[in-house]
Formats: sequence, C-alpha cells, structure tokens
Amino acid sequence: MSETLLCDDKEQLVAYLYDELDGITRRRLDEHLRVCTACAAEVQALSGVRRELADWTPPEAVLGFSIVQAAAPIAPAVRPGRWWAPAGVPAWASAAAAVLVVAAGLAIANLQIRYGADGLVISTGWMAPAASASTEPAARTGETAAGVSEASADWRTALADLESSLRDEIRSARPSEMAASSTTPSRPSDVTPQRVAEWIKQSERRQQQELALRLAQFGRDLEVQRRSDLVRINQGFGQFEGRAGAEIARQRQMLDYIMRVSAQPPPR
Amino acid sequence: MLPHVTSSTDEELVARTVAGDADSFNQLILRWERPIYALAYRVIGRDEDARDVCQETFLRAFRALPGFKGQAKFSSWLYRIALNLCRDWIRRQRRTPIVSAPEGVDIVELASAQGPLESIEDLVARNQLSQTVSEAMLHLPEEQRTAIVLKEYHGLTFQEIADMQGCPLSTVKTRLYQGLSVLRRHLEARGMAGSRTTEKAS
Repeated sequence: MSETLLCDDKEQLVAYLYDELDGITRRRLDEHLRVCTACAAEVQALSGVRRELADWTPPEAVLGFSIVQAAAPIAPAVRPGRWWAPAGVPAWASAAAAVLVVAAGLAIANLQIRYGADGLVISTGWMAPAASASTEPAARTGETAAGVSEASADWRTALADLESSLRDEIRSARPSEMAASSTTPSRPSDVTPQRVAEWIKQSERRQQQELALRLAQFGRDLEVQRRSDLVRINQGFGQFEGRAGAEIARQRQMLDYIMRVSAQPPPR
Repeated sequence: MLPHVTSSTDEELVARTVAGDADSFNQLILRWERPIYALAYRVIGRDEDARDVCQETFLRAFRALPGFKGQAKFSSWLYRIALNLCRDWIRRQRRTPIVSAPEGVDIVELASAQGPLESIEDLVARNQLSQTVSEAMLHLPEEQRTAIVLKEYHGLTFQEIADMQGCPLSTVKTRLYQGLSVLRRHLEARGMAGSRTTEKAS
C-alpha cells in the first residue's frame, strides 16, 4: 500500500486512535507515522482532543430512581412512585371524596324536599279557588305530597279525591239546579281547572324530582372533579417546592463557590 | 464501565424482574442510572432534561421488559432506549427556536461536585475546560456527538456503535473522525487541545 493511500485512509486513522486495529495493520501504520509528519501531527492533535474530552464530566446529579410496586406483582400494574403521587394519597383522598359525595347527595336531597314544599305552596296558590270549593281534598293532597317518594299513592289518592269531588259536585248540582241559573254553568267549569291543576301539580312534582336527581348527579360530578383537581394542585405544589428547593440549593452552591474563589488570593 | 456491586448478572436480574420481583429492577437501575444519565447529559447537554430522559428510559425499559428476549445485551438495549429518547428530545428542541448551549450552568455544579480535593485554580481551569468542551460538543451534529460519546465515555466498539446507530461500520468511523476534527478546530481556536497549546500557555 502506498504512503499517500495510508494518509487518505481516515477510517484507519480513527481505528488506530481507538486501538481497534489488528496487529499487522497497526504495525504498518506505526511505520507510516514515523515517516509522515502530517499524519503524525494529526494523530497527536486528535489524541490531544481525546485527552480534553476525558475531563468533561457530567454534574453529580441526584438520581436514585426506583420502581415502587403496587398491589399486583405483574409489570403493567406497577407504578413508579417517586415522581408521581405518593402511594398513600389516593386511598384517603378517595375515601374523603366518597364522604363528601354522600354529604353533597344528602344536602341536595334536603334541598329537594324543600323544593317539594315550595312547589306545594305554589300549587296551593294554584289550588286556591278549588280549595274554596272543597277544602278537604286539597288538604289531603297536601299531606300526601309531603311524602315525595310515594308518587303512585299520590296518584291514587288524587284520583279518589277527584272522583269524590265530582260526586259531590253532581250531588250538590242536582238540588241547586233550580236555585240560581247563573251559578250552575260555573260549577262544572270549576271542576275542570281543579283536575288540570292536579295533573300539572303531578307533572311538576315529577319534574322537580328529576331536577333534584340531575342536581345530585351534577353535584357529585363536580365534587369528584374538585377532589381530583385538589389532589393535582397539591402534587403541583410539591413539584414546585422541589424545584424551588433545587434552585435555592443551586444558588447556595453558587454563593459557596464565589466565596471560595474570592477567599483565595488571585492566581499568579 | 461501572463497578457492579451485586453478584447477579444483568440477565439474571432481568429474569427475576419479569418473574415479578420489582426490586431486581431497582438493582438494575442502581447499576445503570449513572451511565445512562451521563450518556443523556453528554448527548443533550442539559442536566434537568438528562435526568428526565434517564427516568423515562428506566420507565420504558421496565414496561417493555417482558418483550425483551435477550437478543442484545441488557445494557445495549437500555442505551438504545435512552438514545431514542435523546433524539426525540433534540428533535423537539430543534422545533422550538431556542438554541441553548449550557452556558454558565456547568461551572457551579461541577464546582460543588468536585469538592475541596482540587485547588481552586485547578478547579476553575477544569471548569472552564469542561465548559469549552461541552460547548464544542454541542456544536457537533447529533450523530457525530453520539458516536463520540459512546466511544469516549462508554467504551463501545465501532461495531456496537454501528448497531446502535443503525449505520455501517465505516460511517461510524467517519463520524468519529469528522467529529474529532471539528472539536480539534474548535478547541484550538480557544487555545486548547493537545500538548502544543500547553506549551503556548506557559
């Protein structure tokens, strides 16, 4: 092999530099370097670069990662604990969340009952003319309406009331048919509004129940979201504190370093 | 590469991890976190991000371990995961306009890491040197830098680097040669590199 060819073979030069040549090739290159000053200079310079590189050390980072095992021993179920939530938090957090959800549900249930009462007040307002006609059924529906859960019972009593009031109507209408001609047409028309009012009241109540249910659901969702947000914010704070701590440590190091440097007499 | 404290081989620890013993994996982490962190630090050039890459490497390795059938050395496999993450990081970084050499960051951390064993003059000189080298390294194309890091600091063979970078053997040598040549110019421009500069300095 001619000398110029050896000069151009940079791959071989690199292999020489990193000592990955077989014996024969190495000896041949050794001989070449003895006579070729350019190649010898290059090898020397690149070796110098390698020496400089050797001094480049990464900072002493605090590592200490570890895998923290969850309940299940198989890989996918395992979570790294160190840099995410501490393993203990979700348990009590979810328990607290459950308690709060129940509390919220109860509060809304109370609300619903009050809602029911309010609805009754309104509907009694509606019922006022009918109540003046026959107070007894209105009072009875008032009682049954208080028990919101017994919707079917309500219906039955309402129907019974309606029937009895209709019978009353008819019975009272017959004797007084001759008494005053102006009042007779008003009596049947009185019955119809009462019936309609009854139905409206029923559907109103059902709607209120549904609304309360939706509200409870919404409240629960809201609460769960709030809890998870809270947990996330807590984690965020933890991370932030960690960062800030690291920053402070770094500044302290810097200060230390400056102090040390300034304490020394100036070099040379 | 690193003093292995426990007597079990990597492969034994891998087998035990797959069988459900996470502590064995923690031993592997203990054994390899420094080299992986150093690799990421030198390829990326930033302490914080190198730490993240290091974490992520072990996390991915742990998840992928059941699929690791010992077709390569565990360390090579780990290195490859880390390098892929580094490459992803560099690509992301390139998309954002910030060109960031770790200027001013290394000095203090190296100073504190070094402790009082060195004299202050040595320390300062060393830090300046270290910083110049890291700057020079970060100016290299990623492939060249990675090849040099794997060769210089992790002692991989040309063939191992070729496998890891997915390129022919000759490409690895070319990358090393070009990288070293660029570093040489860079360092010489700053009055460093090799014996000639020390003569000049005195």
